[in-house]
Amino acid sequence: MGISRRTFLKSSAVAAMAMGITTLPTAHSGSIAPPHQGKVIDCHAHLTHRNRPSWETEDRKLIEAADKLGIDLLCCSILTPQRPAAPAAFRECNDWTADAMKRFAGRVLGYCYVNPGYGLESLDEIRRCVEGRGFIGIKLYNEHTCTDPVVFPIVELAIELRVPILHHASHSHYFVEDQPRMSDGGHLAELARRYPEAMLICGHICGGGDWEWTIKALRNAPSVLLDTSGSVTDDGTMEMAAAVLGAERLVFGCDMSMTAGMGRIRAADLSKKDKEKILGGNMMGLLRRRNG
Amino acid sequence: MIVDVNAYLGHFAFRRLRHNAAASLLTLMDAKGIDKAVVSSAAAITYRNAQTGNEELAAEIAGHRDRLIPLAVVNPSYAGWRDDLKICHEQFGVAGLRLYPKWHNYELSSPCCRELADAATVRGLVISIPIRVEDNRQRSWLLNVPDVPLGEIVQLVKACPDARFILLNGLGYTGSPLGQNGNGLPANYAIEISRLSALLADEFEQLIANLGAERLMFGTGMPFNYPDPALLKLEVLNVGNADKEKIRSQNAAAWLRL
Repeated sequence: MGISRRTFLKSSAVAAMAMGITTLPTAHSGSIAPPHQGKVIDCHAHLTHRNRPSWETEDRKLIEAADKLGIDLLCCSILTPQRPAAPAAFRECNDWTADAMKRFAGRVLGYCYVNPGYGLESLDEIRRCVEGRGFIGIKLYNEHTCTDPVVFPIVELAIELRVPILHHASHSHYFVEDQPRMSDGGHLAELARRYPEAMLICGHICGGGDWEWTIKALRNAPSVLLDTSGSVTDDGTMEMAAAVLGAERLVFGCDMSMTAGMGRIRAADLSKKDKEKILGGNMMGLLRRRNG
Repeated sequence: MIVDVNAYLGHFAFRRLRHNAAASLLTLMDAKGIDKAVVSSAAAITYRNAQTGNEELAAEIAGHRDRLIPLAVVNPSYAGWRDDLKICHEQFGVAGLRLYPKWHNYELSSPCCRELADAATVRGLVISIPIRVEDNRQRSWLLNVPDVPLGEIVQLVKACPDARFILLNGLGYTGSPLGQNGNGLPANYAIEISRLSALLADEFEQLIANLGAERLMFGTGMPFNYPDPALLKLEVLNVGNADKEKIRSQNAAAWLRL
């Protein structure tokens, strides 16, 4: 049984967004929700790597989950199972993302995933995907801390192409041994001071360790947006993020924790207007910058 | 009716909680359509003497017993726990216990814990065990409290077949005998849904298929958690209304004699 957008919006006091956006693909046809002009955009989703025999079914389930929750667009990447990712491996992932953009036209938008440690190959791949295949942004994971100079050319190209970078991030009060080059909100703030014109998204506040620390670390980095995704459903997260950063800096995401992602937005003590911004308006604003 | 078997009142040592007083929690419950909540002291998780948390809870919910059902946090490795249990049951009228073996530094297999489980069973009390309190990635620099391994729960439910356990804040049950069909375990435990996936991997529906809807109970983890993610799980759950009613309230009502 699906939850209709009407039910969701009524229960969360979020009315249909009225942004009048028509430049992106139309919403899915399978939803039982009534049509409306705005888009609900999940800024952080993943398709399944094809080393899993069930990848096609799992991709379909993601679309079905989005249907049930009233999510129009999923901004997706595919990561390599083994990291650091070599060029052939991240190119392969991006080829599959491009294929999914065709298979789920109007639902899936692509992030180009690269490993900045392979500088020239990454820059070539970003141009191939963004300029040639309509990808909407860049996904960076944990191969390099975002303040590592090897990342700078990637940021400079993102600025040139006017696309956002969604950066994996977390802050724990211990050393995360399996992610020694993890970035956190402080690193992203530092990167934003170096490149204030870059469109940076700090990944999954609700799956990234001490979320209070991260929100405070980003306070004075106004160009960094914060992705609301993750599995942690701590009460108060959205309210603190909106109070400290402003609702215009929050972008809705699930990172595959679907009911957690949508549930926390529904629950948050925020105005209808702020929820509209978070659910899609802010991300749409980023995507529109591509066209000037 | 909706009964939340996973709720709390009071302060938590490492994060400010909203809606952690009875009046505020009831207001939140009204807003979300939750009729009753099974509550224990959040402060008792880190108080050395957990009983003081139970005393705070009893005072806080006085006058709200129609909707807030108390559970006692009892640490069987701490002096006087038998007295605490008696007071909590006979004076405070608790419906059961919440156990924190990793926070209170004892083993579920220890003789003191087995004695507590037996004593609770004799009194007709349920025993709920939060697999975790918070996501460990956000833990304080002061401590590192692991989740309760599901394997330790398996041993406990086997060893205490007459006890009734409610497992909170867990997931991954389908990878353990606890969530598997024909597991040979007594049907003396129920699983609360707040961390189960309800879409994609969909452990929620797998558990219903494997164990039956009688073994699942609605819970939110409020006020640690937003209640809406758990409510959404029920809304998207693809089972009949009879099974949903069991999960929403009937199973909890039967176990807790509400």
